[in-house]
Amino acid sequence: MRLALSIAEDETGLEREEALDSSAAIEAFLREVETRAYRIVLLHIRDRDEAFDVVQDAMIRLVRRYAQRPSAEWRPLFYRILQNRIRDVQRRRIVRARVLSFFGGVASEDEGDPLVAAPAPPSDGPLEQVTAGDAMAALEQALLLLPARQREAFTLRNFEGLDVGQTATAMNCTAGSVKTHYSRAVHRLRDLLKDHGEEHWNE
Amino acid sequence: MSDRDNELERQFELRSKQLFDQRTAALDAATRSRLTRARYRALEELAPAARRGWRWSLVPAGAAAATALVAWLVVSQTPPTADTGLQVAQLTDLEILLSEEDIEMLDEELDFYGWLEEQPEFAGADDSVG
Repeated sequence: MRLALSIAEDETGLEREEALDSSAAIEAFLREVETRAYRIVLLHIRDRDEAFDVVQDAMIRLVRRYAQRPSAEWRPLFYRILQNRIRDVQRRRIVRARVLSFFGGVASEDEGDPLVAAPAPPSDGPLEQVTAGDAMAALEQALLLLPARQREAFTLRNFEGLDVGQTATAMNCTAGSVKTHYSRAVHRLRDLLKDHGEEHWNE
Repeated sequence: MSDRDNELERQFELRSKQLFDQRTAALDAATRSRLTRARYRALEELAPAARRGWRWSLVPAGAAAATALVAWLVVSQTPPTADTGLQVAQLTDLEILLSEEDIEMLDEELDFYGWLEEQPEFAGADDSVG
């Protein structure tokens, strides 16, 4: 009996250690990913408070549902949750815009695209402005002109550094689609930034 | 696509990534603090799992309690009988189930329990069942 209890205590101790390891690992993952995730969400939805809500919600869902999954799966899963939440926000904005329009809101040719009408995010302070400069602002503006799927592919592949397979998981599509979206995004962005003086932007 | 185009495309990708990283690194303290709080809030979701580890330590006590309950139900559901041998046997079973003795002890004294079973008092109890 004592032996059985001893084994049970050892197993309990191991479970506690595993839980602590898992907790530390997922915290490290979230800490590593949170600022880039916030920036990416802000690029898509252009509202700081909503971007925070989306990032926090994605963190909570990842921890609640997938903390026990292998850590290698966290990144694509996290970004999949994030992309779904971004789409939710965009859909809600479209519905809100339609309702407002129905009740006599001001119609415009851009009303179907909530991103065009969304306010630009407030400045992050002079240091950030000097560091990133106009080049990043030009890139952000160009990104907003891309179709949503191309924008997703570009931000996930280029900014977050996901590989094709991880991006496919995050976007819930095939690897072939990711390659197509990403390639089109790069070409379109280069074209757009040429119009904005890519020769200077790219230096 | 020519080599020149490929090289320009590669430079564009590197520059985009560099700009994004710069912008992210320059995030202000208030924003970082808010993200930290968001992370802590998310990690609170792990608390139930930690508590689950604590609950596992109660399993042995729970198992003993469940065993006692089952033993009590077995005894209490048996119709009353005048055969005291059966009652004694049931109570002995109950004592064994609830005892703090080592399980190994039962193996070591198996011969003793074999002999005990052959005794008339217990044989009478067996005959009365069924």
